[in-house]
Amino acid sequence: MARLLADLSSYLRSGSSLAQQQQTVLHPALPVPGLAPLLTELPRGGIAEVTGPRSSGRMAVLLHVLAQATSRGEVCALLDTHDQFAPHSAAAAGVLLPQLVWVRGQNRPDDMLRAADLLLHAGGFGVIVLDLPEVAAAVWNRIPTSWWYRFQRAAEHTPTILVLCTEKPQARACAQISIELTSPSVEWRGTSCFALLRRFETLAHLRKPAGRPATSLSIRAVS
Amino acid sequence: MYACLHQPSSGEASERAPGLLEVAYSFAPFVEQTASATVVFGTDALQRTIGPPSRIAVAIVQRQKQQSIRAHAAIASTPDTAILLARYSERKLVVVRVGHDAAELAPLPLSALFEHDPSLPPELLPVLQSWGLSRCGDLAQLPENGLVERLGTAGLRLRRIALGQLHRPLRVTPIESPYEEQVQLEHALDCVEPLLFLVSRILIGFCERLRSQMYAARKLNIVLELERNQPYLRSLEFAVPLQDHRPMLKLLQLDLDRHPPHAPVKGFTLRLEPVAPRRVQHHLLLPPVPAPDKLQLTLSRIAAMVGETNVGTPELLNTFRPDAFRLLPPAEDHPGRPKAIEDLFGARLQLALRMFRPPLAARVRLQKHVPDFFLSRIAAGPIVRASGPWKSSGEWWTTSRWAGEEWDVALEGGAVYRLFRELQTCQWFVRGVYD
Repeated sequence: MARLLADLSSYLRSGSSLAQQQQTVLHPALPVPGLAPLLTELPRGGIAEVTGPRSSGRMAVLLHVLAQATSRGEVCALLDTHDQFAPHSAAAAGVLLPQLVWVRGQNRPDDMLRAADLLLHAGGFGVIVLDLPEVAAAVWNRIPTSWWYRFQRAAEHTPTILVLCTEKPQARACAQISIELTSPSVEWRGTSCFALLRRFETLAHLRKPAGRPATSLSIRAVS
Repeated sequence: MYACLHQPSSGEASERAPGLLEVAYSFAPFVEQTASATVVFGTDALQRTIGPPSRIAVAIVQRQKQQSIRAHAAIASTPDTAILLARYSERKLVVVRVGHDAAELAPLPLSALFEHDPSLPPELLPVLQSWGLSRCGDLAQLPENGLVERLGTAGLRLRRIALGQLHRPLRVTPIESPYEEQVQLEHALDCVEPLLFLVSRILIGFCERLRSQMYAARKLNIVLELERNQPYLRSLEFAVPLQDHRPMLKLLQLDLDRHPPHAPVKGFTLRLEPVAPRRVQHHLLLPPVPAPDKLQLTLSRIAAMVGETNVGTPELLNTFRPDAFRLLPPAEDHPGRPKAIEDLFGARLQLALRMFRPPLAARVRLQKHVPDFFLSRIAAGPIVRASGPWKSSGEWWTTSRWAGEEWDVALEGGAVYRLFRELQTCQWFVRGVYD
């Protein structure tokens, strides 16, 4: 019997692995070529976190992910807590605006968390971006961590990626991917006041999964 | 088998039709009204309940007497045979045994066929008469192939009608039923919840009727009669035609929560606008998108939190005015198609701007006409690098004109802001931050 099982082991597949394989075929991971030094693709059905201070390139990373998703025909949502999204910048970064649902927040993070929950449960979205960049520490302290577990549960086994943008890591154990960006060094072209903003060079760390060295990301200005 | 009732002309057509239709609908649910005074219906199902065609004929006659109608009746194998016999036979009641249709039709004049079927070319009648044919029986005896060679498909159709062999389904006219109901309440309601309870009961009935008639609802109108107030109208347009009462009721609830009536409700009129249901062939190679009805419901719930004007799909306006866009409801069908990897725009990261809406007021110190220090609610400090001024102006012919200059300034911490100075007022603002 043991010998028979050993001979057949290469042909045997568990039901869960087959389901996972089918999910992978139907909804492949989202490629993000701009982040190639850190990771080549975002896995489906989880939380990805992008953190960093102001001007560290967080919005550039978000728009890059949205551009990749919308160009693949996916419908995405942006929960914009502070109403800071610039449609012109998004269009310049390659985001297909007709495939983006934009929720303009009124500086109330609680509403955005509830909206994210509704969108995750509605289903069908490729990427849902929860943009909470300027939330004060006192407000974060009021938000229970159970939200992140709820989001993790709602997103798993779905093709949706919840991308969280904050100043400091918040989802922690619930995040599948965590990218931390640092303050940039700004490169200008030209001299004196006739200089033009050319690019940001920011240092990016892949905090989760850990183990990869920090890498430099180049974010070019729109020419 | 089919039964035809025909009422010879003795009065106004509009007065005859309702009585005939009532008799026909008392026997069958699907009735073809061939002419104003002629109706046809199937009798196959009646054979199980009433009996053979002869008994059905008796039942029809009895029913006519009850309705005080004097109509000719005929029962035959095909609708056209039944119509021809009811209209042109001299007998008031004709029941054709199976296989004897041609024999019953034989004595009818040829002109009856052309009067019965207006799609037949009338110029064929003199041709047939010149051949010496005057009755349907004469036409039925001609060989089919020869008739088709000389008269084409019209000849074939004529011969089949004359033989009683033209089988076709009934052309049933759909019953027009308005999706509108009015309710008067004994006691006025001052809460939305009991009102929705009453509305749901009506919506369930409407939706069952919509499904049975292969319709869906695109719009819902409700007029609330308020105490000591004008009627209050709320109108909802669904993203896709709906056949289920649950999303309709939820959308109505969300709408009434956002726009509640200002007085107790003493009655209401509910109306649905029926349209053809939505049929979509999804693309096999495209990723799934949110279901439109579910998306509308979700966005309505979100709109209840953040405001109706703050949810939608952005569209850039055709202007040079900074930050010019508008929000539209999400499109039903997303035109997105996968692109080849080499075509993907954004293989490199692009610098983006975060806008401050409205722009934040700032105080700026200039050094040789170049910003040197700035102070605002969100940031302050010496400027290490400034780029500008980038002047822009436009729409001076409208009220939304603008004129100013923009500067990109970097602070010591590394953050880069976009400053804006209005030329008219010389006021400084922080328009956004690069991120």
